[in-house]
Amino acid sequence: MTSPTTTAPARAGRPAVATATRTTGPSTSGRRRLAPWGFLAPAIVLFVLFLALPIAYAVYLSFRTEKVSGLGLGAGARTEVWAGLSNYASALGDPEFLASVGRVALYGLIVVPTMLGLALVFALLLDARRSRATTFSRTAIFLPYAVPAVISSLLWGFLYLPGVSPFYDVFDALGWDVPSLFEGDLVMFAVANIAVWGGTGFNMIVIYTALKAIPSELYEAAELDGASQVAVATRIKVPIVLPSIIMTSVFSMIATLQVFAEPTTLRPLSNAISTTWTPLMKVYRDAFTRGDLYSAAATSVIIAVATFVLSFGFLRLVQSRAFGQEK
Amino acid sequence: MTMLSSPSAGPVPGGSAAVPDGEGSVSRGRSGRRSAGERPSAVATGILLLGALYCLLPVVWVVVASTKSGSELFSTFTFAPSTHLLDNVADLDAYRDGLFWRWMANTALYAGVGALLSTLVSAMAGYGLAKYTFAGKNTVFNLLLAGVLVPAIVLAIPQYLLLAELELTNTYWSVLLPSIVSPYGIYLARIYAGASVPDEIVEAARTDGAGESRTFFQVAVPMMVPGLVTVFLFQFVAIWNNFMLPYIMLGDDRLFPITVGLSGLLNQGASQPALYTLVITGALLSIIPLVALFLTLQRFWRVDLAAGAVKS
Amino acid sequence: MRLSTGTRIAALAAATALVASACSGGGDGDTGDGAEAAGPVELTFWTWAPNMEKVVDLWNADHPDVQVTVNKQDGGDPAVTKLLTAIKAGSGAPDIMQAEYQKIPQLVSADALADISGTLGDDVAGHFADGVWNAVTLGSDAVYAVPQDSGPMQFYYRADVFADLGIDVPTTWDEYAAAAATIHEKDPEMYLGTFSANDAGWFTGLTQQAGASWYGIDGDAWVVDVDSDATRKVAEYWGGLVEDGVIDNKPMYTPEWNAALNDGTQVGWLSAIWAPGVLAGNAADTAGSWEMAPMPQWDANAPATGTWGGSATGVTSQSEHPEQAAEFITWLNTDPAAVQALVDESGIYPADVPASTEALSDPPEFFSNQPDFYEVAAQTAGTVQPFTYGPNINVAFSAYNDEFAKATKAKKATAFVDAVEAMQRITLDDLKSSGFNVSE
Repeated sequence: MTSPTTTAPARAGRPAVATATRTTGPSTSGRRRLAPWGFLAPAIVLFVLFLALPIAYAVYLSFRTEKVSGLGLGAGARTEVWAGLSNYASALGDPEFLASVGRVALYGLIVVPTMLGLALVFALLLDARRSRATTFSRTAIFLPYAVPAVISSLLWGFLYLPGVSPFYDVFDALGWDVPSLFEGDLVMFAVANIAVWGGTGFNMIVIYTALKAIPSELYEAAELDGASQVAVATRIKVPIVLPSIIMTSVFSMIATLQVFAEPTTLRPLSNAISTTWTPLMKVYRDAFTRGDLYSAAATSVIIAVATFVLSFGFLRLVQSRAFGQEK
Repeated sequence: MTMLSSPSAGPVPGGSAAVPDGEGSVSRGRSGRRSAGERPSAVATGILLLGALYCLLPVVWVVVASTKSGSELFSTFTFAPSTHLLDNVADLDAYRDGLFWRWMANTALYAGVGALLSTLVSAMAGYGLAKYTFAGKNTVFNLLLAGVLVPAIVLAIPQYLLLAELELTNTYWSVLLPSIVSPYGIYLARIYAGASVPDEIVEAARTDGAGESRTFFQVAVPMMVPGLVTVFLFQFVAIWNNFMLPYIMLGDDRLFPITVGLSGLLNQGASQPALYTLVITGALLSIIPLVALFLTLQRFWRVDLAAGAVKS
Repeated sequence: MRLSTGTRIAALAAATALVASACSGGGDGDTGDGAEAAGPVELTFWTWAPNMEKVVDLWNADHPDVQVTVNKQDGGDPAVTKLLTAIKAGSGAPDIMQAEYQKIPQLVSADALADISGTLGDDVAGHFADGVWNAVTLGSDAVYAVPQDSGPMQFYYRADVFADLGIDVPTTWDEYAAAAATIHEKDPEMYLGTFSANDAGWFTGLTQQAGASWYGIDGDAWVVDVDSDATRKVAEYWGGLVEDGVIDNKPMYTPEWNAALNDGTQVGWLSAIWAPGVLAGNAADTAGSWEMAPMPQWDANAPATGTWGGSATGVTSQSEHPEQAAEFITWLNTDPAAVQALVDESGIYPADVPASTEALSDPPEFFSNQPDFYEVAAQTAGTVQPFTYGPNINVAFSAYNDEFAKATKAKKATAFVDAVEAMQRITLDDLKSSGFNVSE
């Protein structure tokens, strides 16, 4: 299988991977031929043990189910049997699952553009000559990356509470009606905000590093011609760092499909977040609350395949659009 | 509540290549550019400061909140500090005979040792992939990378069943071992090795009679170090962030990392009072070391996706 | 896990090599079981009761041959999740497990709890009320656990606020509704209570009081009776209060709710005997203003109540020392000194009837203004209605969370009844599709 992560830079006509794969010429000794396997051995052994085997086992479980006999009490009342595709059929036919997929799609449409848009704006401003306080801002915006999602959701969860939130004081002072973030559809924004908060800084650093690598001669000419900073940013800098933006989009999309920690932490605070609010929350509920590993495994396989198809499809799409002319 | 599969929607340690300042990247000589007498832009600076304010808001809140007593938490103004920080720390210290400090130490062990081992394994694999040609190379690389697609939550139970088979559940090993392999780390290390270790130098070392492993450890690793620091930090954060694995693997709360411990404090069950001040103080104390680590190692955070693209 | 022997050996060999080659210190993780033939028997005990290790210390001091180690767990649900995973894996479970009563059928159904009827003394059953004992035997000859604490429900209220507003303590649900309306009318910020879609155990207790029993056993088949007249009556009643806006619809156990208890905007709580501990922790500013009364009644002539919480201690099927473990849990829950320690250290309301009357005399500190606290408690405990839990109560509870979250959001009495119907359907479908014998 071709992984999206390798195709992007390669297809983008960048020599990054090409450099990495440059050969060292024909090897002369047998030891040399075995050497790469020696270097790879620890990674491969660990990968097989802790990723490949568990994945294979999860796939196996997705085709199994448990049958109970009689009252199901005491030893031996449960047996595992083949289930065929029935776990997949019931997952795909489950309205709760489909609703959670729709919710995550909407959530992704909010989070990914907002987070990357902010990251891009901040990165461009950090790189702009006329900005001040850049070291402080860069550090402050990157700081949330150091806060685990469980803890950041907890902090925001408190800040959303009417009794704690400073915004409610402001709203009150203005005499506005206070919308509760924990009721109705607003909860989507409550969750999205935590993700944007946690992820913007990291993506900003990725784009900023790419910006810093642009040789300044590339836009000094334009500046001498009187182009504004905004024009330099949008016409020259953004197109050059587009590959970085695309890769951060792909990884943000993958992370979005796997959103779990934020809504799970907020769930006890709100009536608006169900136990199946996102696909992974349904996996968790099935596996841990209901003890049905088999349905959970089938849903997981569906999520992994969908992630693969989506990220790969996205890369194909942007490559044909953005880099078509480079060939 | 609070489960976490490692790559959450927030920090995405995504296919990025750190390019340390200096070798490998084009030196732009822009360091003194801000003093070039250009007029500062209030708009640009203002937007950056707004962004900084937004990102600091919850952090400032947790600092202030940890100085409040339980009833002040909801009654006094949000950002009005109080005087109970030391009481709160003392309460936390008293909880089950200082268990909190043990959680901190465990977290340092899981994330620190785990990330070190992970960096070593990734560096070896990345070097092997970047500097050798062999049949099946791309297949191996793509298979390793495919691991990114599978959410950690899905793997938790099969991993538990496997480690139970080895009788390793409820031990430090059950959290450390699965944390070592990192598809992201291998991807990054491959790019660093490709970008920062010139083939000629590897060849020269071989000509001098150095064995393959000596070439790697004595020639390649020192050149890769700046990049490997980024791998270490990525993996450190990933392990620190991974709630699900320790939550499932560990039954003994003396082995918990801080995230699992704090979430336990928050979920005492219906018949116990909530321990908000303990949780908030614990959250503050737990992010201090990580923030310090980040600020110290900040200069290594030069992550570039299109590594070597423009500059080579 | 079903791995072939070859795979298993390969995996073992690889892992062993890794363990041997990797550096780092670790290995403090005691897996608990598997003590050598020599030396004392080592037992591990998963519990979430606070300070349980202090109670266990009493046992360890007197029993050098059987040493018990406490592993503190998060509240009930996560511990059960971990136990079930360990049972599936075939290793990793503790010897002794605290389990809420409603979890016992599920644990028995997963073969997680050992039948200890053979090792228990004949007199153990006599320590407990029939309803409680039934919950650990599931009505069979087997015994799967020894009851530890129980949670009869009562009504907790701010006596000072009631006096200020001139409201009498409600004795019936009609009076409760009237009091709720009066309080909310006098102060729109103030509520007599909230309907919490997060606390299935709380709602179960309310329906238990009304005479519901969500499961039953008919011969060798399960009966699901969530959608009964009694449950519908309770749902409709609360739906009406929420629809009228006289009680709140936010979940309990949120920071917001805790703050509301403390600042006096929640002035009542339908809770259980362990409520004083929660109130003392979350509403410290209101000490001395609360009182406890029996639940409001559906039929004032036939006082009844339900239970919320309460747990038993069982021996897991993976324990290699079931006899010693059974001996320990019998001591823990029936020995007068142990029960006294449970009351003093862990603050529980013991299920053991004779020992509890000894152990509980003075009211809890937070209720020192109510000297007859434990007399009222004992009186309500005597009116607990029978209730049967089933093997997929976890499914019924998670259906409660989701369906009643929708209903409380909709704020319509009809939506509350719809939620009961949905719970019935989801619970029944799950039981049938798992292959249980179900009679309809």
